[in-house]
Amino acid sequence: MPEEQTLITAKEPEKKPMAEPEKKPAAKQPKERVRADRTDELYKNIPEGDTLMKIDHLRVVYKTDESETVAVDDFTLDVKKGELISIVGPSGCGKTTILRCIAGLLQPTSGKITIGDKECAGPGSDRGMVFQDFALFPWRTVRQNVEFGMEIAGVPKEERTERAMRYIRAVGLEKFADSRIHELSGGMKQRVGIARALVMHPAVILMDEPFGALDAQTRNIMQEQLTKIIQHSARTIIFVTHSVDEALFLSDRVVVLTKRPSTIYKVIDVPWKRPRDRASPEFTALRKQILNYLEVQNVMEG
Amino acid sequence: MKFRYDKHNKYHRFGRTCVITAISLVVLLWVWWILSIVVQKGLDFNNSPLASPQDTFAALADLIKNGDPMEHRSLSSWVWSSLFKFLKGFVLALAVALPFGLLMGSFKTAKEFLSPWIEILRPIAPIAWAPIFVIMFQATNGSVMVVFVGIFFPLLTNIIFGVEKIDKTLVDAAKTLGASNGQIFLKVLVPSTIPYLMNGIKIGLGIGWMCIVAAELYNTTLSGIGYYVKFMIDNSSYDYAFAGIILIAVLGLLTTGVAEYLSKRISKRMGMDV
Repeated sequence: MPEEQTLITAKEPEKKPMAEPEKKPAAKQPKERVRADRTDELYKNIPEGDTLMKIDHLRVVYKTDESETVAVDDFTLDVKKGELISIVGPSGCGKTTILRCIAGLLQPTSGKITIGDKECAGPGSDRGMVFQDFALFPWRTVRQNVEFGMEIAGVPKEERTERAMRYIRAVGLEKFADSRIHELSGGMKQRVGIARALVMHPAVILMDEPFGALDAQTRNIMQEQLTKIIQHSARTIIFVTHSVDEALFLSDRVVVLTKRPSTIYKVIDVPWKRPRDRASPEFTALRKQILNYLEVQNVMEG
Repeated sequence: MKFRYDKHNKYHRFGRTCVITAISLVVLLWVWWILSIVVQKGLDFNNSPLASPQDTFAALADLIKNGDPMEHRSLSSWVWSSLFKFLKGFVLALAVALPFGLLMGSFKTAKEFLSPWIEILRPIAPIAWAPIFVIMFQATNGSVMVVFVGIFFPLLTNIIFGVEKIDKTLVDAAKTLGASNGQIFLKVLVPSTIPYLMNGIKIGLGIGWMCIVAAELYNTTLSGIGYYVKFMIDNSSYDYAFAGIILIAVLGLLTTGVAEYLSKRISKRMGMDV
């Protein structure tokens, strides 16, 4: 697969090597202002491995006329810069709820989320998101989808296109840049979703079961591709999945949640080097351990 | 060599459709012809109000060549005045339905407030307004207003439906990409409503065409294909009247056909099915 190679180029540019007949590029950026499409620069002083995001006593209560359901309770987590942290839990627990709170799409009942020392209120381009059902704009081409965030941020057209194309190439879709979404397969769609999030350089990328809608084979390929992306450009990713296997394959740390109300049961460090071998004894042992726990949780509920 | 129909061959399927349609039309003409004889002989008309097909087509040919037999106005001037009013009514309906539809689809309070108006006005047949509108706005603009009423409601309900049917995850995606409410409106809501709008246009054009012809029956001025039919009937030129009716059918078919085609094209281009 050619895209596996090209993925490696997902790193930031070595300032366009091709000679481009100058069109006063320097004049375009008068001062070092951080733009909505480059929020990761806000936190460039935080060294990798230090805490970038703090989720503090998150609590979400769903109220209906008759009942109150506590979906998430006392969820506290520090996310380190440059890590991929997975959240797994029994089915029906508040994994996605937590992620939506972090994204600002859902207002938590109480609790605080901060990036650096900036509190997050409402959604913003500093928290990019990849959705399970892709959430691509069907009336836009692949390239226009990837450009969407930059369009919003007011990035000039030329830069927009150039950057979008770089990421489209990185996910191996250059042949499909001008295709429409319905012409793509599921795996290709999600690669567009990933490119669309990555291209904005958010401080944190949130992935909500991004490979959940894909078949098993495509899923494995996508996992490997994601591994390559994070190996070559450090990104902070919070990854929600119901697949323990996926979590162990991808993450630096795995957060295991309890059944509703979700709270943290355990945070497991996954120290193994990438790419990982799913068949290795320590991988299977750890997977079994987590699965056992999840099973107990599910059975408890009945 | 024996011909076998193969339903998996698209040329065969198309050919089949053509043959059946052609036979259907021939049978229709034949039924018309029989009926015209039955009416004339049975009801003992000298000049039967149900003109026969051959008389109708002779009249149509004459109409196309020499204009109408009374005023000698060309066919195109009759037709154009109808089409022009039709177009005016359509543009007006679009201009009003679009903001109201977007508003009512986006804001619950607006919808709750305006819904009673819509529910009361919508069931009224647009043509019921014609006599009043003709007095209120004069003949020409009165017809325009009838078309407006006819097209407005299907447009409005389809736009509201489209706005309400918006894929919420697309809005979420736009939010996480930093879009403001205004940007979401322009870049997500409006484009995702377009296929529904097209559907409304498709339905609206069909109704609007019926409205224009019917409204013109109330005309007092010599304009429009609907008035032409009435004018001919008043002068007992039934064959010329039927020629006009055939034109109305053909033009109606063309408008809805074009709208249907555009609607399909646009929905496909937008990657959506309504």
